[in-house]
Amino acid sequence: MAKKWIYAMEELGQEHFDLVGRKCANLGEMTRLGMRVPPGFAISVDGFEQYMQVTGLGERIEAYFASLGEDLCDSVQKQMDASQAAKLLIAQTPLPADIAAEIESNYEALCARCGVPDLPVAVRSSGSVSMPGQMETYLYVRGAAEVTRRVLEVWESTFNTRAIAFRLEKGMPVDKAPIGVAVIQMVNARSAGVLLTVVPTTGDQDQVVIEGNWGLGESVVAGDITPDNFIVNKDSLAIEKKLSTKQRYVISTLNGTVQADVPTHLQELPCLQDEEILELVRIALGVEKHFGLPQDMEWVVDNDLPFPANIIWVQARPAKFSASQKEADADYIVDQMARLFRR
Amino acid sequence: MTTATVTQTTTMLPPVTGFEFDEKADLEQSPAWFLDATHSVPPWTPLFGWFWINFCRHGMQYGAEKLSLPTVKGWDWRFRNGGGYLTVMLVKSEEEQRQREDRFRVAIRPFIEDYDGLWHSQLDEILGLYEDLKKVDLDRATNIELLDNFEQTVNVCRRMWEVHMYMMYGTYTGYILFENLCRELIGIDDTHPLFHKLISGFDNKVLQVDKRIWEFSQKAAQLGLADIILASEPADIESNIEAAEKGPAFMAEFREFLDEDGWRMQRMSEMNQPTWIEDPTPPLTNLKQFLVKGGGFNLEQEREKISREREAAEKEVFAKIAPEQKGWFTTILRLAQKSGAFSEEHDHYLDLYTHAMMRRSALGISRRLVSAGTIDTLDDIFFLIPEEIRKVAINPDHYNLRPSVEARRAEWLEWCKEPNPPAILREGFDMDQAMAMLVKSNDPIALKVVVGAMPVVREELNADLHGTCGSPGVVEGLARVILNEDQLADIQPGEILVAATTSPSWTPVFSFISGVVMDRGASLSHAAIVGREYGIPVLMNVFVGTEKIKTGQRIRVDANIGALYVLDK
Repeated sequence: MAKKWIYAMEELGQEHFDLVGRKCANLGEMTRLGMRVPPGFAISVDGFEQYMQVTGLGERIEAYFASLGEDLCDSVQKQMDASQAAKLLIAQTPLPADIAAEIESNYEALCARCGVPDLPVAVRSSGSVSMPGQMETYLYVRGAAEVTRRVLEVWESTFNTRAIAFRLEKGMPVDKAPIGVAVIQMVNARSAGVLLTVVPTTGDQDQVVIEGNWGLGESVVAGDITPDNFIVNKDSLAIEKKLSTKQRYVISTLNGTVQADVPTHLQELPCLQDEEILELVRIALGVEKHFGLPQDMEWVVDNDLPFPANIIWVQARPAKFSASQKEADADYIVDQMARLFRR
Repeated sequence: MTTATVTQTTTMLPPVTGFEFDEKADLEQSPAWFLDATHSVPPWTPLFGWFWINFCRHGMQYGAEKLSLPTVKGWDWRFRNGGGYLTVMLVKSEEEQRQREDRFRVAIRPFIEDYDGLWHSQLDEILGLYEDLKKVDLDRATNIELLDNFEQTVNVCRRMWEVHMYMMYGTYTGYILFENLCRELIGIDDTHPLFHKLISGFDNKVLQVDKRIWEFSQKAAQLGLADIILASEPADIESNIEAAEKGPAFMAEFREFLDEDGWRMQRMSEMNQPTWIEDPTPPLTNLKQFLVKGGGFNLEQEREKISREREAAEKEVFAKIAPEQKGWFTTILRLAQKSGAFSEEHDHYLDLYTHAMMRRSALGISRRLVSAGTIDTLDDIFFLIPEEIRKVAINPDHYNLRPSVEARRAEWLEWCKEPNPPAILREGFDMDQAMAMLVKSNDPIALKVVVGAMPVVREELNADLHGTCGSPGVVEGLARVILNEDQLADIQPGEILVAATTSPSWTPVFSFISGVVMDRGASLSHAAIVGREYGIPVLMNVFVGTEKIKTGQRIRVDANIGALYVLDK
């Protein structure tokens, strides 16, 4: 195949939104801003498209959806059936050898670049439209065969019931959806968490809020634990700390990520040093300035690298904040309720 | 001049003037009218029917309009031979649907943004109205004040139904959305055990009253009253306690509790039977049943377990939800969780309480009518209609309403003999089309209360009856078929209750039965909600349970798979 469909993150930027999806384009843009992101590559929407075309799967799925007729919109049961049927078609269609080989060779190159055979990576969906229900993320994936398998599963997730329903609602084509995939190195996380350049509850833009825990960021993002909380004044850079007793964290093992007890001697200690906090703030303020919008970012501190190379970013996006988040949720719920009456 | 009282003779007014079922006009208006079997079987007395038809109807149209539901304008109601017949009022054009949807988007927001605040402000208003009504001392009031109290009760009933249906439409809309999201996001519907776990483990007022009765049973045991109670027939419990040494003090305390929480009817939607305050036999029977069963209050023991299971279920579900979806999903989940508590509490605070107020006010006037010789007995008032009550209330001694009472009572007795048809359909219109009309309305109450999920018959299970899961679990035991409230006292601890439907006035028995089989029901039916809180299996929509199962038969109920087995055929 002539057309390029796998890219290194460094090759990408905001303008590649449609090509590789939001997540990959963002990671690319972040590298341009001098942020350290985990090394990795992006599979563009053409990857999925190619798989669909070469195997004839696209036509089969198109024909299947065409056979369902108009009333798919009206019946959740039919949407569930359609989801199952489309996924079955995918499951019955193995990845052509050349496509698999391309993904595998890029993965091997990534392993070589990091100097780790069977490098543990995260495989994440990267849609160009934020689509509910189509958000597969696989952490700690190792080995070329596993990586290819997970990529296929991300593609398959475009036929989750919710994603189908969403496309029907928005009047988008239901039988296909562009989706990119990010394959990035798993960071050996000492600590991780989120950073917002706005106080989400009040909309106060003079402070930066950092929340973090030992281990991977999942425990903070999921809201399962009470994290350490740091509030930094953007002008004076004064740090206000609210430390918590961090009893549980998420760590990587050979079998994937698991919840575990934090070793007793670490529970009461802050998960970030002051110099790390200030470095996080420094970079975050630069990103905020670049985009001209308050940012919602995810960070990881690497366990093996020296400061400041240990500060790694995995996400940056415009922050939703204050009443606006609640309002956006309420708007969404109202939309869904109105939909109930359109059956 | 004649001193003879006026005797009404020939023209008897129909019970619900203006809303009597008129076959020609009403079938022209709508092709299908459904009997409200939950509330109007057995047939209503004329006075109760008047209240229900006038104001439940008003409340539904008020609620649908206030929320501007896009596809339905509430229900219309008619009265026919003591039965309430209803039909949905569809929004006719797509243009109008769009206009209504725009307003709906604004009107529904309070349910999303501050559900508790909304519900409690409305509840406080209604409870305040009850207190005003109760301020009137009916024995000392003048006839004018009694009539005034009656008119105010009419207004309170009207306002209660407005609040009732506005809240119910809004609450059920949220609940149905949650059901849909569960289907779409995690592939489970409202008959799935995981779904039930997500919405169980919450306290509500009705369950709190059960617990108070259990506490009284413990107190009775401490005071040495247990043997007396256990040896008494239901009707004699009160007098036998009073006769015991420590009995009067105990009953005084029990009545104090009833003054607070006893404003409820034995039958949920009727006013011709005493309230708990007038006759404490039903709660005392429950108290006795607690003593028979022995042991702790199992609701309390179950609660912690069920709450823990709910938390685990929430975790399981949240793991399948993307972080950015968590915000709104949580809001809808909480809304659905409140639906169960609302379903139970509104019956207690709204329907049952208002009906008790209606009875109180009507009896206040009835006493004057009896002593003036206008009617013979207190119960006669339920065979009058407000127009007649207004006519005679200030000067009852000038009227004789016995012929009215007699004629209507005779008519009512006839209604009770012959069951009302489940639906009245236009010529050429069948039941499937009628059901399709309900579904098309998207009416949240019709979907949750009238239609319900149909059981899937799975041949491989080889079951005797099929149903849907209202509360998960499996149980084997003796069946007790209950056809009306009077039989509730017969239930023995550990039995499986088999009934057409249940209402909050039945709640206390749930603490000592081991399972429930219902002919009809949906996931927000009373039995399903209470069954989940008590952790007992509930199988619903069996349709012919009360017909096919006999009291004393050993049955096995597997609610999880929707199957019922009769073990000794």
